[in-house]
Amino acid sequence: QGIDFNGLQHDSTQPIEITAERLEVSQTDGTALFSGEVLVVQGEARMTAGSLRVTYATDSRRIDRMEATGGVTFVTPTDAAEAQGAVYAVPAGELVMTGEVLLTQGRSAIAGDRLVVDLDAGTGRVEGRVRTVLQPRDGTGRD
Amino acid sequence: MAEHLRSRIVAMLKVAMPLAALAILSTLFLLSRGREPGTTLPFADVDIEALLREPRLTAPTHVGVTADGASLRLTADAARPDTAAPGSGTVVRPRLLVDTPDGRRSELTAGEARISAGEELLLLSGGVHLDNSLGYGLDTEALTAALDRTRLESLGPVAGVAPGGTISAGRMELRRTDAAGPYVLVFTGGVKLLYQPPT
Repeated sequence: QGIDFNGLQHDSTQPIEITAERLEVSQTDGTALFSGEVLVVQGEARMTAGSLRVTYATDSRRIDRMEATGGVTFVTPTDAAEAQGAVYAVPAGELVMTGEVLLTQGRSAIAGDRLVVDLDAGTGRVEGRVRTVLQPRDGTGRD
Repeated sequence: MAEHLRSRIVAMLKVAMPLAALAILSTLFLLSRGREPGTTLPFADVDIEALLREPRLTAPTHVGVTADGASLRLTADAARPDTAAPGSGTVVRPRLLVDTPDGRRSELTAGEARISAGEELLLLSGGVHLDNSLGYGLDTEALTAALDRTRLESLGPVAGVAPGGTISAGRMELRRTDAAGPYVLVFTGGVKLLYQPPT
């Protein structure tokens, strides 16, 4: 199911700010493990997670990939998605959320197994047991 | 007669005294050892008191190996033993190199380092800078460095550069997770990393 993230003007070369309670960096390969109320902010996109593993390229200056686990939310000015985990391929600007994915856009919500988002293009798709969940008119809650 | 004798003695002294002074002065420079830059003094074990017992060393150097196999090398501009507490003292403008078996290097510089007798611990203070070859360059006010095993611990907040950006945290620590585990740089007390992707 194709999705438009029209509200998102994203540029994957914007600075990324990561805050957390704790960070452990392995001297072996420079991998950084953030834990405790992790918040990742890049432009207008925000992601929260229980923990986040950041992998650097072998020259250890460039971040290649971020893997969020422990319950993830991804929020843009107009949309919100939640899932069990997510992987953000930083240079490619591609975010893949997996595990009981629920994407809410305005009053409609779509559930599925996977949500793939091309942040720079502002497009995405939900895959696997896709179910559209319509909020009742007064939007009291998901039925 | 006495005046004659006294004036002869004074005249003789007027000559002898400067000559003696000259002699003493020249031997002073003759005997003092010059400062050989870069020569290292091989201390085999982790014996920090030896460093302090040599107050005359202008560039004291201490080399040791920690239990987990990291090599420590402490050089300083001067060492001032604490006369009140033997085996303790202050080391001026220390530079500590920690080379861990995983091939990484941490280089610490500080205003001074305090060594306490019997304690295998160095307290670095007066503005400490830590460069870790992973690409972290951190500043903190004070930091303890264990000498018997690899353990660096900031006493307060740290801030500085990280690979591709900057970092700040409430505390920082460098240690080995366990005997066979990796060495880790641990930031606690709230961490903020700002990363600028290559444009």
